[in-house]
Amino acid sequence: MKKGYLGFFVSLFLLAGTAWGDAIKIPVASPFTGQLASFGEGVKNGALLKGSEINASGGIRGRKVKIVLEDELCDPKEAATVATKLANDPAVSIVVGHLCSSATLAALPIYRAAKLPAISPASTNVSIGKMSPFYFRNVYKDDFQGLFLAKYAHFVKGYKKVAIFYEVNDYSMGLMLAFMKEAKKLGIKILGTEAYTADTTDFKPQLTKFKMMKPDAIFIPGYAPQGTLIVSQAVSLGIRNAGFFGADGLDDDLMLKNPDAEGLFVTTPFLPDKAGPRAAGFIRAYRKAYGKDPNWFAANSYDAVGLAAAAITAVGQDRVKIRDYLASINTREKAYEGVAGKTYFDKNGDCLKDAFVKEIRGGKWVSAQKQLRQ
Amino acid sequence: MGPLHELLDQSSLFLQQLVNGITLGGVYALIAVGYTMVYGVIQLINFAHGEIYMLGAFLAYTMVTVLHLPFFVAFILTILLCSCFGILLDFIAYRPLRQAPRLAALITAIGMSIFLQNLALMIWGSQIKSFPRELLPAVFSRPALVLGEITVSWLQIFILTITVLFMAILHFIIHRTQVGTAMRAISHDKVTSALMGIGVNRVISFTFAVGSAMGGMAGILVGLYYNAIFPTMGYIAGIKAFAAAVLGGIGNVPGAMLGGGVLGIAEVLGAGYISSEYRDGISYAVMIAVILFKPSGLIGKPTGDKV
Amino acid sequence: MSRRTRPALPPGLIMPLIFLLALLLPWIPLGPSSNYVLRVLTTAVLYMILALGLNIVPGFTGLLDLGYVGFYGIGAYTSGLLAIHYDLSFWWILPLAALNGALWGILLGAPTLRLTGDYFAIVTFGFSELVVLVIRNELWLTRGPMGLPGISPPSLLGHTLTKDWEFFYLVLFLLAVVLFVVTRLEDSRLGRAWFAIRGDEIAAQCCGINLIRYKVTAFAISASIGAMGGAFYAKWFKFIHPDMFKFWESILILCLIVFGGMGSIRGTMLGALVLIPLTEILRAVLPQELFSARYLIYGLTLVLMMRWRPAGLIPFERAQEALARRAEARIRSRRGGEQGP
Repeated sequence: MKKGYLGFFVSLFLLAGTAWGDAIKIPVASPFTGQLASFGEGVKNGALLKGSEINASGGIRGRKVKIVLEDELCDPKEAATVATKLANDPAVSIVVGHLCSSATLAALPIYRAAKLPAISPASTNVSIGKMSPFYFRNVYKDDFQGLFLAKYAHFVKGYKKVAIFYEVNDYSMGLMLAFMKEAKKLGIKILGTEAYTADTTDFKPQLTKFKMMKPDAIFIPGYAPQGTLIVSQAVSLGIRNAGFFGADGLDDDLMLKNPDAEGLFVTTPFLPDKAGPRAAGFIRAYRKAYGKDPNWFAANSYDAVGLAAAAITAVGQDRVKIRDYLASINTREKAYEGVAGKTYFDKNGDCLKDAFVKEIRGGKWVSAQKQLRQ
Repeated sequence: MGPLHELLDQSSLFLQQLVNGITLGGVYALIAVGYTMVYGVIQLINFAHGEIYMLGAFLAYTMVTVLHLPFFVAFILTILLCSCFGILLDFIAYRPLRQAPRLAALITAIGMSIFLQNLALMIWGSQIKSFPRELLPAVFSRPALVLGEITVSWLQIFILTITVLFMAILHFIIHRTQVGTAMRAISHDKVTSALMGIGVNRVISFTFAVGSAMGGMAGILVGLYYNAIFPTMGYIAGIKAFAAAVLGGIGNVPGAMLGGGVLGIAEVLGAGYISSEYRDGISYAVMIAVILFKPSGLIGKPTGDKV
Repeated sequence: MSRRTRPALPPGLIMPLIFLLALLLPWIPLGPSSNYVLRVLTTAVLYMILALGLNIVPGFTGLLDLGYVGFYGIGAYTSGLLAIHYDLSFWWILPLAALNGALWGILLGAPTLRLTGDYFAIVTFGFSELVVLVIRNELWLTRGPMGLPGISPPSLLGHTLTKDWEFFYLVLFLLAVVLFVVTRLEDSRLGRAWFAIRGDEIAAQCCGINLIRYKVTAFAISASIGAMGGAFYAKWFKFIHPDMFKFWESILILCLIVFGGMGSIRGTMLGALVLIPLTEILRAVLPQELFSARYLIYGLTLVLMMRWRPAGLIPFERAQEALARRAEARIRSRRGGEQGP
């Protein structure tokens, strides 16, 4: 029954499409306003750039692409509403989206029931992959990222004692667990873990505890709006000898406004000067369009839109066929070559990607001198 | 590391937490004064008071960054503006409902709180703002006192001085001036006070003005201290300050100061020694316990139900 | 107050007729967006249930309850956890969730309901924040900020509900049950005691009404309806997260009843039916930046309604009047029966 409906709608749409020649909709769902809006901005810019490039080179099967931005504020309820809207729109055959994992988890059951494939450029939480056969992502998972950070802290930075200051959310806690697991293997001592919630601005009680522990570094697996406050409050408490580091959640230009954050390093899936030759054109176009270097959100969403377009080009606008097409990209040989490296999916729709390290030097993000090869 | 060393570390940790707690408590006390004075006079929980505090922070931020006013000029202007806001708030929202059931006034207060919070969201956006360091007096970022591992900054001293100073001034106003006497009279009996020739509405406006001025000032100080200004900052701080006012004994200015101090210290020590996850929970639990078991607060007079 | 006699439909028939009309809704062809419309309507009906539940406390007994979302959250998590760990059927979960809500309502209400109005409001607020904190931090139970994914959908006679119209029918059924309970309550000894408390506590006490007992009953019933709403919500969304039960939800529901008419059952339902779809219309019309500040409108609604129309769209007094008329008619007919023609 469900399938019958769907087939009917899809054929109806295809008819309409050929008759009126209107554009192919690719919705991009992310937080474009709210506290995490600056992450969403990268997603938006990358997607729009790819969309206009596709259109400039003739579109998909002769039809233009229209990137439709759907703002879900990183809020699970909003995400579910947006997902319902998209799932019931017969003109939508694939979604690029969701950035926060709570939003992703709220949207998943809806996409799954509507057999609508979705590809996330930025949702790194471990548990997502197994939830739905219709969900893919072209970003690494937190278990990999945490492990990578522990290795980098140990082999490159030589940290022996680390304190962890995490936010009470899925992203931060997943990262912390992965980091701690690997740190134990490598012999990094975890001096203590402390928590904060997103609406706090006073981090001093927890930081005071850290100060007495005299850690080599403080690991902040959270987001930039709180990360920058944590760093400056730590410095004002007199924590000066400890280094600070975080994961891709701190990879935000907001950190650059904070003079205390000098020397902080983060993992990131994409670095302009470490990217392959494929990325050169992308970086040039991005600089020209937006006047700055692309961050990893931009690069990944550029690739995600590229993947979506490749799928529609190959099999048309049938939701199930698109899903099967994406699932068939499952070896390194068949990988989609994007600006942020090769993307191919395992049976959960997850993928393996390289991680890079960048740090703040002179108030700018620069690639760390030493990268870790995986 | 010897046991003596350990002991020294532990005690300096405790002292540093105490310093953090007292600063936080000073801020709560400044906000709590606004709740406590308004409640004392018209028996209304002014939920929008937390939003005045938030507006204070944003106004000062805008004056410093957009209008490029010197910090102290912005500080004073903001306080004046906030007291005008307080009067306006009373005039627009609460005065028409003086004779209405209390439920109506309470719902209006919540409505105003939500309205102002979202207005700020529309004007300034949801991203966290901070005062650019180069536009502030340089002395703020310097430590005033470093004793071993304990750091006290000039800003902390500034916050505490202002809190104590204004509490003293307020106490003087309430107990030694004519308008203060009028306030106390109204809090006992509004109708009789009016019959005695007290301009009730004028005195209530004055109460709102003073309370809002303190709230706005607290907003600026917190914006400086934590480096963070955002539209929802008034919501949690407001509730906690209300808890502080209840804890000290509502309607009582020294009580607000005591309540703020106790709550600030309890919260910081709780986060430091018990659980940082349940930090906000500590304030709520303290508040609920006080309301249930000692509704008159630590130093408030038991009031009994007015019939 | 004017006493207009309105002929036309007998009052007992209006609600069933509206329900019949609602049952036809899914079959109106609205093209591709019909599922979306259905989902919005399901949300609106869910909020009608929630608003009817909340209405019992501020509407019937005149106490401001700012912690309603706490019970909604307790219901949702009860439902989600029972479904995941014990694989219970929805028809077991629903009463269990309601019971759990009532239990917490009594636990919170018994000590706090002797407080005066404002203190009671603030304690309920503290309670709902504590509920969210516990949900967020007790990972072993609730998975905290990871949320609770993978909740199975409800089933009926071996058939698993998946389609939007099926959920719409289910929520309509729940509404009918809640509406039945609430209207019966309104017109009962219990309800009259509540109205007396709302009118004047002291007078009510003097008439021999045990204030605490009646208030706690009101609070417990309200909490259990909130929990039932939560139980449905969890089974419908299949994923719950602590962020879904923030203080804002309490405010939104309060706004619905203030707008519709506090204390009036029809007003409460109308409030939800107008404001919830309005939110969706705002979403379509406003740019996102403004849409995220939509609570501005709710806040303003509260203020303006209190100022100019404190009784709401369908005032409580009119509902009271109807009740009185009905009671009068009943008495008259009974008397008539006794005396004979």
